[in-house]
Amino acid sequence: MDRNNIRNFCIIAHIDHGKSTLADRFLEITHTVPSQKMANQYLDRMELERERGITIKAQAVRMHYSLGEGEEYRLNLIDTPGHVDFSYEVSRSLVACEGAILLVDASQGIEAQTVGNAYLALEGGLTIIPVVNKIDLPAADFEDTAMELADLLGVDSGDVLAVSAKTGEGVEDLLRAVVQEIPPPSGDPELPLRALVFDSTYDVYKGVIAFVRVKEGLVSQGMKALFMATGVKSEINEVGYFSPDMISCQDLEAGDVGYISTGIKDVSRIKVGDTITDQKRQAADLLPGYQEPKPMVFAGVYPIEADDFADLGDALDKLKLSDSALTYNRENSRALGFGFRCGFLGLLHMEIVQERLDREYGLQLVVTSPTVVYEVETRDAEVVFVRNPSDMPDAAALKEVREPYVQATILVPPDYMGNILELVKERRGVYQEMVYLSGRRVEIRCKLPLAEIVVDFYDQLKSRSRGYASLDYEHIGFLPGNLVKLDILINGEPVDAFSAIVDRNHAHDYGKKISQRLRQLIPRQLFDVPVQAAIGGRVVARETIKAKRKDVLSKCYGGDVTRKKKLLEKQKEGKRRMKMVGKVEIPQEAFISALRATREETPK
Amino acid sequence: MRLYIHWPFCVSRCAYCDFNSRVASRELHALYHHALITEIENRSRCIGEERRDLGSLYLGGGTPSIMKGEEVARFLEEVFRYFRRGPGTEVTVEVNPADWCAGDFIQAREGGVNRFSMGVQSLSDDVLAFLGRRHSANQAVEAMRSALASGADVSADLLCALPAAGRLSASDSLSDVLDLGPHHISLYGLTLEKSTPLAKRVELGEVALPGEDEAADEYLALVSTLGERGYEQYEISNFSRPGYESRHNLAYWSREEYLGVGAGAHSLIAERRFSNRSSVLQYIENIKSGGSTLESYEVLNLSERESEEIMLGLRTTAGVREELVGHSVDGLEALGLIVRRLGRIRLTPSGMLVSNTIIAGLLPDVDSLRCA
Ligand SMILES: Nc1nc2c(ncn2[C@@H]2O[C@H](COP(=O)(O)OP(=O)(O)O)[C@@H](O)[C@H]2O)c(=O)[nH]1
Ligand code: SF4
Repeated sequence: MDRNNIRNFCIIAHIDHGKSTLADRFLEITHTVPSQKMANQYLDRMELERERGITIKAQAVRMHYSLGEGEEYRLNLIDTPGHVDFSYEVSRSLVACEGAILLVDASQGIEAQTVGNAYLALEGGLTIIPVVNKIDLPAADFEDTAMELADLLGVDSGDVLAVSAKTGEGVEDLLRAVVQEIPPPSGDPELPLRALVFDSTYDVYKGVIAFVRVKEGLVSQGMKALFMATGVKSEINEVGYFSPDMISCQDLEAGDVGYISTGIKDVSRIKVGDTITDQKRQAADLLPGYQEPKPMVFAGVYPIEADDFADLGDALDKLKLSDSALTYNRENSRALGFGFRCGFLGLLHMEIVQERLDREYGLQLVVTSPTVVYEVETRDAEVVFVRNPSDMPDAAALKEVREPYVQATILVPPDYMGNILELVKERRGVYQEMVYLSGRRVEIRCKLPLAEIVVDFYDQLKSRSRGYASLDYEHIGFLPGNLVKLDILINGEPVDAFSAIVDRNHAHDYGKKISQRLRQLIPRQLFDVPVQAAIGGRVVARETIKAKRKDVLSKCYGGDVTRKKKLLEKQKEGKRRMKMVGKVEIPQEAFISALRATREETPK
Repeated sequence: MRLYIHWPFCVSRCAYCDFNSRVASRELHALYHHALITEIENRSRCIGEERRDLGSLYLGGGTPSIMKGEEVARFLEEVFRYFRRGPGTEVTVEVNPADWCAGDFIQAREGGVNRFSMGVQSLSDDVLAFLGRRHSANQAVEAMRSALASGADVSADLLCALPAAGRLSASDSLSDVLDLGPHHISLYGLTLEKSTPLAKRVELGEVALPGEDEAADEYLALVSTLGERGYEQYEISNFSRPGYESRHNLAYWSREEYLGVGAGAHSLIAERRFSNRSSVLQYIENIKSGGSTLESYEVLNLSERESEEIMLGLRTTAGVREELVGHSVDGLEALGLIVRRLGRIRLTPSGMLVSNTIIAGLLPDVDSLRCA
């Protein structure tokens, strides 16, 4: 097909603003999926995504559309995630497109993340088509929403399209606009191949599958390919596209979007952002890649059954393939055994990974409280990064502890402004400025410690604004803080899984909460067990688990010893599964429950 | 050899009870009685001559005192046709205080019974009503007196760890019972058994059982009262004046051989543990048809025997040989939960209260406790 008849585009939208529904309409109108067979939200392939209504992985679907007099177009719709955790994935998808539909729910208005992503698209030189969705809703406020969009993009509000993804109203017009307004891809098919890997996934039969945007040249089946950044060489087994199922074809030309498979099974060898070229006719330079995604939130991930450790490692290897932002390193916890310290983009990312490990790999896991990465300067002027609180150097050796901050933008209706400013203050935020966007929305700009956001900031934001406030942020580096390491000691022994780095002023509250919780969860032993929270050697909170007093079978009927034997056998068996912290026996479940509950209220 | 005979019938069920007992017609009693004698006869034949000499006999239930004193005497007469009673044979019958008058005790005594185990449980009428017992406090006192007057040894069963109101009375009941001068006391903590009426009431929140600490404190106080009054503890729940320990009871803990007959009865013979079907009807049916009454059968190997020795021995104040226990007990000793003496270890009263935890910790680590 003539390159001029290809359009590569994506939809930028906040969660629930109707991206999947709109994509469904596109698939129907273009007969890519017969409407009666239309599985809801076809693009969301992963079951998990479907349930959560979010799209994690960028993927591409090819559609055919004819405009007027038999003019045939090939439309490649590249899916983008909507959550702030995944803004780096958005940026990857954007590079594969020439245009974007900016979709906003008429009843909700623009959300902060949408603004952020729109700027990314503008910076990337994409053509943006502003669209207001859900105009069928009684609560729809098309005029105001169109105004906001026009202001944001610096266009006339008359240029904003109105659609209902649900009823299909305006969707044909939108498709026409996609064809007419978004430029076709450029790029010379005669040049040596340069194709950008913008996403990948794993298939048990085909191995690693890379989603590519061919920028120059042509990629074809049987070609001996070179991944330029990693130097990995491999023959290309299959070339194809999704429409919406996997369809293999001879080749993909400059300007096109599709997938390749190489049979490579080792998930770590193909890197998203890499450039593929032809071994025989190599391109000179890599395409401008994406920035490596930087995980900012860390947590220990441990199998509940120690035997699952190897499986967990395999599962992480596989997940990593379709989720290059995920990082992981082996670690060993006294309380939890062998596991991995994993790095995530944010809390949502962490939850998604955890759920995928559970659902797709059947692994039962314990995940410790999330922490951010700290930059620690020691007295001998060494700088180390601490991803696990228990790796924190001794207080005496510390010169300064710096924590990651973000530049946050919060959009909120004026009525809730006061609440939100208060929240920002509680969370150690540094207020910067406030701009009235329209009568409906105020933009608050502030600096916040990332550690505050990884906990429940988002929930608080929503609950204190009746769901109206929205948040976007970008990392701005490390700033010094009044931070200390808090250890939890059970019977005098520190338990690494509960160590935390906290603001000095919150140490007592946090320590108290955890010790109380552990007191409730740890079964009584034969002796009193103190549970303490301590900074260095100084105890800031203390609870006592009183000794067990009564655990006895008072009667054995008529010489029925079997019953008693069974009971003791069970008890013995239970004992064997206990984790020992010093002399204290703690069932793993107690750790798990304590950690689960603690997650909600990690230190301020 | 020791013989346990199970009488699985009661006049009515107590609120806390999940023993193998039921309310049944006189006809069923008779059929069962017949089956029992048949089993006793059968077993006596194949058990080996020397095992027919009885060290002790225990007629338990259920409520064997549903039979009158004279019936018990006649029943024992039949039993003694197959198992020989000697001058030192301890013969115990469990008696519900509602059932017998002075004459019954005397007749039972004449039939060979020399020990009565009285199901007193409490001497507070409120508590007795709450427990669903059939007798009053007065009846219990009367029955105790008659039993003692018959010249037999008398033991009283008492319950502790009762709900709030009953707790105060447990120590009163104990003093009152001790004033009557029994030879032996069995003190059991009330335990909630699934799907008993009591468990339902607790579930509904109508009554609350005492907490761990309260129950433990009460037990220790009762144990010390017993000690002060000259009743020595020889097992977690059993106390006696010197020389009046129940030999039958002790046999269970020291792994002596015993044969249990009747529905659901357990035996230990020649290092085999086996038990009968607990269903009365099935039991009768099996006996009639000459089929097997067995429900479980297990041959104990050496390590199982040793585990049992620890598990059972530690229930008694005799304890176990220290060398039997492969784990260090220094920690337990420091906590005052065990005492070491003359190469043996035994639990203190506080240790007995947490005996499950301690024993589970001291058992060998191998899977030696597999049960059939
Ligand atoms: N009334 C109405 N509801 C819509 C429209 N578009 C989407 N929705 C509903 O909005 C919700 C979120 O839509 P979805 O496509 O899943 O949003 P996504 O998270 O952006 O993919 C779903 O319940 C849709 O049915 C529309 O045009 N009108
Ligand atoms: S008399 Fe004994 S066996 Fe019968 S119901 Fe009451 S407690 Fe149970």
